[in-house]
Amino acid sequence: MKVPLAWLRQYVDLPHDTDDIAQRLAMLGFPVEDIERRPAITGVLVGRILTLEKHPNADRLQVGTIDVGNQKPLTIATAATNVAAGQVIPVATIGARLPQLTIEPRKMRGIASEGMMVSADELALPPEWFEDGILQLEPAAVLGENVVTAYGLDGDVLDVEVTSNRVDAMCVIGLARELAASYGLPLRLPPAGNPGTAIEPSGAEPFVELASPDCTRFVAQRFDGIAVGPAPAWMRMRLALAGQRPINNLVDVSNYVMLETGQPLHFYDADKIQNNRLIVRDGGDGEKVVTLDGAERTLSPQSLVIADERQTLCIAGVMGAAAGEVTASTTAIVLEAANFSGARVRRTSKALGLRSEASSRHEKTLAPAVTDLGAARAAHLLVELGATAYRPHAFGAPVMPQPPIVLALRDVERLLGWQLPAERVASHLRALGCAVESIETITYGPSLQVTPPLWRRDLSIAADVVEEIARMEGYDNVPSVVPSVAPHDVSSAQFQLENRLAHEVAALGYYEIVSYSLGGRRYADSVEVLDPLSEDQRYLRDSLLPAAMAYFADYDAPVRIFEIGHVFRSEEGHIVESAVLSFGFTADPSDEPAWHDARFLQLKGDCEALLRAITGRQPQSVRSAREGFHPGKFAAAIVDGQEVAHFGRLDPRSTAAAKVRLPAYACTVMLERLPDYAIPHYVAPAKYPSTYRDLALVVPLEETAAELERTIAETIGALCTGVRVFDEYRGPQVGDGQKSLAVRITLQRFDTTITDEEADAAIERVLVALRDRGAVIRQ
Amino acid sequence: MSDLTTKLDDLHRRFSAALTAAEDERALEQARVDYLGRSGEVTQVRRAIGQLPPPERPAAGKTINAAVASMEAELEAAQSRLSQRAFDADLAQRIDVTFPAISPRTGAINPVRRITEDVASYFTRHGFAVVLGPEVEPDYYNFDALNIPADHPAREGFDSFWLTETLLLRPHTSPMQIRTMQQHRPPVAILAPGKCYRRDAVDARHLFQFHQIEGLLVAQDVHFGHLKGMLTGMCRALFGSGQNVRFRPSFFPFTEPSAEVDTTCPRCKGLASQCGMCGGSGWIELGGSGMVHPNVLREVGYDPDVYAGWAFGFGVERLGLIRYEIDDIRRYIDSDPDFLRQLA
Ligand SMILES: [Zn+2]
Repeated sequence: MKVPLAWLRQYVDLPHDTDDIAQRLAMLGFPVEDIERRPAITGVLVGRILTLEKHPNADRLQVGTIDVGNQKPLTIATAATNVAAGQVIPVATIGARLPQLTIEPRKMRGIASEGMMVSADELALPPEWFEDGILQLEPAAVLGENVVTAYGLDGDVLDVEVTSNRVDAMCVIGLARELAASYGLPLRLPPAGNPGTAIEPSGAEPFVELASPDCTRFVAQRFDGIAVGPAPAWMRMRLALAGQRPINNLVDVSNYVMLETGQPLHFYDADKIQNNRLIVRDGGDGEKVVTLDGAERTLSPQSLVIADERQTLCIAGVMGAAAGEVTASTTAIVLEAANFSGARVRRTSKALGLRSEASSRHEKTLAPAVTDLGAARAAHLLVELGATAYRPHAFGAPVMPQPPIVLALRDVERLLGWQLPAERVASHLRALGCAVESIETITYGPSLQVTPPLWRRDLSIAADVVEEIARMEGYDNVPSVVPSVAPHDVSSAQFQLENRLAHEVAALGYYEIVSYSLGGRRYADSVEVLDPLSEDQRYLRDSLLPAAMAYFADYDAPVRIFEIGHVFRSEEGHIVESAVLSFGFTADPSDEPAWHDARFLQLKGDCEALLRAITGRQPQSVRSAREGFHPGKFAAAIVDGQEVAHFGRLDPRSTAAAKVRLPAYACTVMLERLPDYAIPHYVAPAKYPSTYRDLALVVPLEETAAELERTIAETIGALCTGVRVFDEYRGPQVGDGQKSLAVRITLQRFDTTITDEEADAAIERVLVALRDRGAVIRQ
Repeated sequence: MSDLTTKLDDLHRRFSAALTAAEDERALEQARVDYLGRSGEVTQVRRAIGQLPPPERPAAGKTINAAVASMEAELEAAQSRLSQRAFDADLAQRIDVTFPAISPRTGAINPVRRITEDVASYFTRHGFAVVLGPEVEPDYYNFDALNIPADHPAREGFDSFWLTETLLLRPHTSPMQIRTMQQHRPPVAILAPGKCYRRDAVDARHLFQFHQIEGLLVAQDVHFGHLKGMLTGMCRALFGSGQNVRFRPSFFPFTEPSAEVDTTCPRCKGLASQCGMCGGSGWIELGGSGMVHPNVLREVGYDPDVYAGWAFGFGVERLGLIRYEIDDIRRYIDSDPDFLRQLA
């Protein structure tokens, strides 16, 4: 909300420094988003055009004599065409400083010009919001007065953010009230007594029927003698500074009162209300209404409207309808200052897709008491403009203060950590307009009974009052105390597991990425967002791999990445969410034989090292298959009989489709399946030396290293302390359907040194056993 | 006898010459084998002792032994000379130590995790636990239990991705407050980090998916000042020892009193009026906080007259923007290798 400081200063004598005020507002809970610094303008005075004649030497120029108060009238030439004798205008005198220029004596086609007639633009006001040419001041303006100070053009403009609970502060008076309380300064409110005393002519008395509980109060007031035209310059300038475009005197008055008091108003052409009788009711189903912006809107019973017996004249709290519109020929109006249910206005405005300054206030639910203030201020201004005000009529519940809140004084200290004397607390609350009484209750001990002011609807419990005390005392002064937390039994295990995994994988040389959980790919059991931002973000992912592939495709060079995240799928109407870790890499193509894949073995090494570190156990890897992976280069990692991870080369067809140019490998670990860490037990090295035998074997192609190792170890028994396949060969030298494996067998005794004879005997047994599996020593 | 001496002298002279000429260990070894080896020249001289008359033999043996001892000493000296020369040659090398290093294979956790861990390590040191929870949550945990009933205007502030009538991707980590408090009696001291989702248009300051870190402490005798104390410590752990924390009044449905939390601008320390990071205010906004609303405590069965608590929720990416001076929040989701390496 844009707030001209000059307007605020009308109600409270604020300090000179704009930044000090902005800082104060921020510390009261109203951050200042922006400060519009007004340019320095001097030497512009109120003047009246005494005479105006055509310039003798120039067709396009006129020469005027201008009375600027206590000095000889000035002679000024102008090219403006909207000037006439008798007008009161701003005049820049010799030496005046304007944003773009300094006024010096000069000759205009032979005539000495002693200044300049000034336009809105030259006063740094938006020119498109004001008359072309010279700005027209009101006739009553005091000649010779400094225009800039008199009209508040020198005060900076603050753009203040107001939280949704403080609709009472979404106006100049509201912020003035806060600043006055905080600075300890008196507040001067504008004339607020309703000048309307006259009794309407017979039959012209407005009546309002509240046919919906969502209108709690409605002040209606009739004005005659209306002449629609421009509003006085002071009001137009003030509105412009506040960011509100001046339209005409009626619209400007309603905007002015809304910005000043917070109460949105609506004016009806009195002659367009049938029988002077308004009804606040639900909208008709499918009812069509043309609003003031010219658009046709379709209502529903959800919307709240103000109508006469024939037609809808206004969408309550949102926007007026054309049927009741004030026009240039309007001479009498009925003012509406009403209070509506915020939820109802919000629903109406949302359903119509129509928001206005009024609805943005109403939807936060205003205090009913503000209706009377709004009506009174409007009446005051309209009378100033020459209208006749009749008496206001209020419909609905009388304005009542809220029930008092009991604030236990000990709760102030309990919640804020401050010890504050009761008197200080009470004076803070009184400064904010609360009525405060000291009481003693059995439950709460010494307490204050606090009745919030009529304009505050956000204060309803003791904690709300505590916040007010903290605001007045200054949030800056909240003490900084480190608490000592008593023991509790909440576990951090899941967090620790994820971090542990992340650090282990990082240590294996992978970088952690973050990608979107929403993607455009649909799976058989995928979970769908009802209202996606785009088709690319319609489905929750069921795997981290598509994001990894997109990364591989983007980066297009060997890279190693990992991610820990949630994946989602729908299962019998339920959404199943689980945490997974995926890591993987791309590598330059290798020139190894097709039957061999060192990258796969590196990936397996990373997977097994990770699982050992996390579970304390050696995983078993078995051939497996899964969509998206190469059918011959994929394995599951088993720990304690449970598949906890799988890994392999990504299916080259999928990677090609995803524009991944390089071979890609990935491993996925399912966090929920990881068993708790098993504490390993130390095995001391044997005191006696070991020996080893290397065998080169020719085996059937389907033989696996793991099976071969297991057979050898089982055959030898306790003497075998290690067996490891360390080489493989396939090719013409071993023939079709066969391959050669080299294996090293380590033999050792724990009670004495093993002899060559023992070792050889063990190997003999191995060869016999292997013969049964179709293995022979390679010649 | 003099014949033997002559022979030995000659042999010794030639041996010394061989040692002097030797340029490497192999040449020395050759000289040792040739002269002192099993079938070397000294051995042949020793064999000749047998032909001497017996009375002369002991003296001859002594003479030979003395010569051998002297030769062995020379050999050792030559060896030491050679190895000294090798050391000297090695130590005389001057490589270019400024030559680019051979890079080890490195990896790293994401800055989001790094910040989360740093915050967690500060809070766990003070007795907090860290809990994780689901990202798909019912509206009850996201809103109703947090004092945001169905018609509350604040729901619009959490513009969420809905999956069904009642299920949504959590727009904040606050559901973990409710879940934890419903499962444990006070005291409760937790951090809840994790992914959150809001329907924000993506730009340099916004992502529709981000990480939040939530803190909650509920116990007897917990007050607003404890929140400031912990957040001051957290900011010092994250941004440096000079950090301070400022509260400003604000509004959140689930806290009362509520506060926006600012910390000293880590770039200018509040001293530069032209600072691009804080706009000259000297303060950087971190996020929301406040004393847990009595309705929230009641919802989980805690008596607000007995227990009090505070909570805060900060965007982790935002903390990173401040800490690392990252120019654009989309850098996180791009996860470019260079970004990850720089912040590793
Ligand atoms: Zn700064």
